[in-house]
Amino acid sequence: MNLRINIFRFVAFLWLAACHLYPAAAQAPETFMEAPLLRSRVAAGQLPPIKERLPNTPKLIDLAADGNRIGRYGGRIRMLMGREKDIRMVAYYGYARLVGYNSRLELEADILERFDVQDGRQFTLHLRPGHKWSDGHPFTAEDFRFYWEDIANNKELSPGGVHRHLLVNDKPPVFEVLDNYTVRYTWDAPNPYFLSAIAGTRPLYIYAPGHFLKQFHSKYATDKANDKWASSFNKLARQELPSDMRMPTLEAWQLQTNPPSSLYEFARNPYFHRIDAKGQQLPYADYLTVAIGSNSLIPAKTGSGDSDLQGRYVRFDDYTFLKAAEKRDVIKVELWKHTVGSALAIYPNLNTKDEAWRAAFRDVNVRRALSLAINRREINKAIFFGLAKESANTVVPESPLFKPEYASAYSRFDLDEANRLLDQTILAKRGRDGIRLLPDGRRAELILETTGENTMQTDVLSLIRDSWSKIGILMYPRPTHRDLFRNRVYSGDTVISAWPGYDNGLATPDFSPLDFAPTSKQHYQWPQWGDYYWTKGRAGEAPDLPEARQLVALLKRWERSSSTDERRSIWHKMLTIHADQVFSIGTVNGSMQPVAHAPNLQNVPKNGTWSYEPSAYFGIYRPDTFWFAE
Amino acid sequence: MFGYILRRILMMIPTLLIISVLVFILIELPPGDYFESYMAELEAQGENVDPKQIEELKREYGFDKHPVERYLIWVSGLAQGDLGYSFEYELPVNEVVGDRLFFTMLVAFVTIIVTWIIAFPIGIYSATHQYSWGDYGLTFLGLLGIATPNFLLALLLMYLANVYFDTSIGGLMAPEFVNAPMSWAKFVSILEHLWIPVIVIGTAGTAGMIRTLRANLLDELQKQYVTTAKAKGLAPFRALVKYPLRMSLNFFIADIGKLLPTIVSGAEIVAIVLSLETTGPLLIRALQSQDMYLAGSFLMFLAFLTVIGVLISDIALAILDPRIRLTGGETK
Repeated sequence: MNLRINIFRFVAFLWLAACHLYPAAAQAPETFMEAPLLRSRVAAGQLPPIKERLPNTPKLIDLAADGNRIGRYGGRIRMLMGREKDIRMVAYYGYARLVGYNSRLELEADILERFDVQDGRQFTLHLRPGHKWSDGHPFTAEDFRFYWEDIANNKELSPGGVHRHLLVNDKPPVFEVLDNYTVRYTWDAPNPYFLSAIAGTRPLYIYAPGHFLKQFHSKYATDKANDKWASSFNKLARQELPSDMRMPTLEAWQLQTNPPSSLYEFARNPYFHRIDAKGQQLPYADYLTVAIGSNSLIPAKTGSGDSDLQGRYVRFDDYTFLKAAEKRDVIKVELWKHTVGSALAIYPNLNTKDEAWRAAFRDVNVRRALSLAINRREINKAIFFGLAKESANTVVPESPLFKPEYASAYSRFDLDEANRLLDQTILAKRGRDGIRLLPDGRRAELILETTGENTMQTDVLSLIRDSWSKIGILMYPRPTHRDLFRNRVYSGDTVISAWPGYDNGLATPDFSPLDFAPTSKQHYQWPQWGDYYWTKGRAGEAPDLPEARQLVALLKRWERSSSTDERRSIWHKMLTIHADQVFSIGTVNGSMQPVAHAPNLQNVPKNGTWSYEPSAYFGIYRPDTFWFAE
Repeated sequence: MFGYILRRILMMIPTLLIISVLVFILIELPPGDYFESYMAELEAQGENVDPKQIEELKREYGFDKHPVERYLIWVSGLAQGDLGYSFEYELPVNEVVGDRLFFTMLVAFVTIIVTWIIAFPIGIYSATHQYSWGDYGLTFLGLLGIATPNFLLALLLMYLANVYFDTSIGGLMAPEFVNAPMSWAKFVSILEHLWIPVIVIGTAGTAGMIRTLRANLLDELQKQYVTTAKAKGLAPFRALVKYPLRMSLNFFIADIGKLLPTIVSGAEIVAIVLSLETTGPLLIRALQSQDMYLAGSFLMFLAFLTVIGVLISDIALAILDPRIRLTGGETK
């Protein structure tokens, strides 16, 4: 199987150019340099010297390949967050994974030394001998066994059974410990989710620090076996959202503050496995702090220089303010790109309880007409300063799966065509005031529900309302609370709703097309069908549109596929169906995300993509390599 | 007197019980619960959420029980000082609240003192110099204080403090002191930040207090005994302080009851704008995520403050104002 995730074409070009500029790949260094922060502890004998702390073969980060510079030790990266759970961002930004994406979105071994895959169903993971947890205890196959036997297969700790992505046809893998540094997972059939799950922004952790956790586990510490032990164990064992500073980690920075607090400090992990070409152990920054405060204050605080690295909670609306702060030399601002399929998409609910509208929406011409009657250029100019791209809700141009016809499908502004299409549907009749009539005699008035969480949404919707009135359809946006919104869409009380488009607009053929088939009740165009798939038919309704059924069939074929070429052709079939069927109506994509950083913080990319998955926000750009210049 | 106080204290119990029922109902009313928000959050990130797991969680926190039973558990916990468990923080509410309560009290206390210090002399001045330029000027300022939205004032002051005094934006202290133990430097840092919320929360209250004091004092000053006192040649200051001022002070005391909860809750919006480490932002967050025990215990705390405040002011009034009879209707 081809392990390399396909490269973006344009990035590949840059990569080739970079190879010309830096012809020699970085050489593994012979000697290592101790971080000044740790020198005194090493001298006092509290910590072994750097050579003994690093794995036998540390992960070498080739900074030059990304056009970055080798840095120097020291400093504190301050960040601002809106809620305490946001400290999980440290694990997202740190992005130490068994395998992970690099900035070119290729999958590569990170914590692992290497991994072998056979037929897409047998995964052999080779650890780095000498790799240690942040408390100095060796990281070995035992930690995988502990997770598999004592957590994943423990009825009390995992009442839901092993993780979905570890099941193929409802069957768990055969887990083997080959030696102290090698483990193997084998399924009967290909598991296309395994690698992307352990590489995820919120990864599937298939290992856990057994040496530390055993003292809290009922199997090893029988005095702990009361009926509450499971929940306190699960809380303690959380790796992406640490709840106790004693919990060892493999990430670059380790928690130093016990919750609750309004200021969390993280300090460098002396056993982190990554180094640069000069023999310096990463991360460069000694400390990382996360201050928790009102999220509405975060742009203002960022603008006054209170943050050294900020992307979360600052929005494009804040760009001009942040730019003004740049003049005072307290921060620098870059513009990154969002990768959602559409900044705001409209979802006609194919499962709505309203029978007349349900019948209307199931007619593809109604969906096409609604899409044609949106003036995307106007939205782009009025709200996004013309910086976004007018597009249907589909993959973004940076994705290797992108084709111009996916973006342009029914996304031009053509009222005549929209009216002509509607005249062929059950909405053909109009009242005296020109408003169309439903077959049951009601006027075509749509209550469009949103969460109304930001003004961008309401602004876009008011523009759409104006142009839809010209095809005889009245639309009234109505904001509801987020949880209520979800439940109302799912129950079918909502006729039509608005929400951002596809999350993984950057998809490559090896990413799962789950979001492009009815697979979840979070899909606002077909929540019931999605729930039917997710619960394997225990809830929801089976899809009854042939195109939707076809999407599910294609997804199943993708799951069984073993070659990237086959996956690519399946993806294109699915994207073509979406372009033709307009299940969701896109507006614009490629909107901008401001990223502010301290003026002397180096190696922060000028252009990046801002997404939860696959780039883990800053994660694939490796904030452990960001450093402070004088 | 003792009997009166005892009766008032006993009255607090049914009052608080009724409030607790109302709080519980209010918190139960919105659709969904914390577990649904939690499940949606997990699902949004592609987690496999087994309904069994949620059932398990619900069972663990007693959510499978009847609401009445849950109410009883909650209330009996409250009575023993156990505020329940916060789902969002996965900690007992007592631990989550921690020193936030102390900072809330600090802000409230300083605000009350500052309000009094400013309102008192101005009120007296306005009343004794009625319709003078000073009266008009101060009244204008006071009305401006009432009319300016708190959050706006907060933002403005915060911006100015940041630009001119280099005070860090938001919070009650500079970030480096947050986890540090109390020290002189930390104390100074708190003082540097404290004045903004105190001014913001204080302005509206100060203005109101000036107006009431002025009106009450004016009423008294026109009474005949004042004229008589002046006619007999009593020094003007003594003629002001001896009786009229004392008479007009009743409302200060009667106000304590209202003061406590308004300062604690009125400070909530300001606390969010200013990102203070007080209870306000915690309460709002808890209400949003339906973290019901955290929210409920907070609301109960506010209710408790109100009841205590009213009790204190009633007792103080009874002691200080001889015109108030404790026996109420009996002598009619």
